[in-house]
Amino acid sequence: MFALRGIAVSLTCFVLLYCLLSAAVAAAWRALKPSDVAQRSVAALLFALRTLPLLASVVITFAFVVPSFQRLEPRSININLGERIGAMPLALGLCALLLIACSCFRVIAAQTGARRVVARWLEGARPLATGARTLMLQSKPEAPAITLVGVRKPKVLVSEATVALLSHDELQLALKHELAHMQAHDNLKKLVFRFCPFPGMVKLESAWSEASELAADDAAVSSQSDAVDLAAALVKLSRLVPVEAAPVCAIGFVTSSVSERVARLLAWDEANKARRVRIRTWFVIPPVVAASLLVTIAYGPVLALTHEMTEWLVR
Amino acid sequence: MTKSFSIFGRGSTPHLGPFEQQVLQKLWSHGSATVRELLADGKIHQAYTTVMTTMDRLYKKGLLDRVAEGRAFRYTPRHTPQELQRVNALESIRQLLGSGDASSLPLSYLVEALSTHDAQLLDELQLLVERKRRELRDQEKIREQR
Repeated sequence: MFALRGIAVSLTCFVLLYCLLSAAVAAAWRALKPSDVAQRSVAALLFALRTLPLLASVVITFAFVVPSFQRLEPRSININLGERIGAMPLALGLCALLLIACSCFRVIAAQTGARRVVARWLEGARPLATGARTLMLQSKPEAPAITLVGVRKPKVLVSEATVALLSHDELQLALKHELAHMQAHDNLKKLVFRFCPFPGMVKLESAWSEASELAADDAAVSSQSDAVDLAAALVKLSRLVPVEAAPVCAIGFVTSSVSERVARLLAWDEANKARRVRIRTWFVIPPVVAASLLVTIAYGPVLALTHEMTEWLVR
Repeated sequence: MTKSFSIFGRGSTPHLGPFEQQVLQKLWSHGSATVRELLADGKIHQAYTTVMTTMDRLYKKGLLDRVAEGRAFRYTPRHTPQELQRVNALESIRQLLGSGDASSLPLSYLVEALSTHDAQLLDELQLLVERKRRELRDQEKIREQR
């Protein structure tokens, strides 16, 4: 019964935190307007925001809720004192289980769907001689123009029409764009989004998607002529109507924001690119270390406070 | 050319007349107004009662809100121009899809219109790309000549 109560309380705290943080992120992310920041950093920031609710609720649950229950909750239950699982934690605990099951189902469904579609596209595919270490395959005509598929072993699929339509330089740049997505693990990130569902997050995910496309454009291009070639490839491939939509866990070269991307590429300027600030990963280290130190020092009182709050939930 | 608006969810009263549109435009620029305030602007050359009747009609069509102010009413637009435009577009699409015997036919018109629009946009983008390419080539030539 003790373990069961512990699980119910932990799940309740997890689901409450997850929903509260997700609602806060969904409402507040638009206030974030990074100017003069590299698109790669914007994409990283948006990804961090999108996954923050899940990450924070898991960390808080395992670092505070579970230990506070184990250390401070009496093992024996006095029903007269109200030491039993209330209807609310039971219901919320079930909601949490439902949320976890739903998330797992979404991930599995996305992976299975992608695998099925990609297997069909790969029938009769042959390697493309590009000199790159990543597997690049020339696939069926009904496949999207250029697509990055797979999470663990990513591949770049290039349709026959694309090879026929693009010049050598244009094709190389389009492939570089997809390789930039691969290096940023964008397919894995899309799968992570499937694992943390919450209503109202679609726009944040689209903003991330746009930023990641622009970041991949930036990574592919290193001169003005590269930028023009990539823009030309984008315009040419936008004319191809895909017979079949790409699965969720795949990244296509042609996206909805074609005109914005072309305009941006045509205005490409090395000095402008160099001026943009990149938010480095180590920027987050000092605040994380400071927070960890603070929590370590005040761990006892924090656990007591957490326990008080969970007691209030249980009763 | 006179444009006509269709009204939110009211298939039976489909359009706004030119004077109704003019009054609505004036109210959007004012924010809110009484009949007297609209006339005081000097841009509407109609009788007081005509303006009053028109505003009352717009109120009944669900486009204006009103509150009593002395012996008159103060009218406020219920929707922004953008909201009205959006709903109007949706209503037009709904009517288009609902018309005709073959249900796929209006949809094919829509797809055709969108494809034409896309093709035009891509043609424009293609021109921009080619122009930029020419510029770069010319710059390269100038550099080589130096």
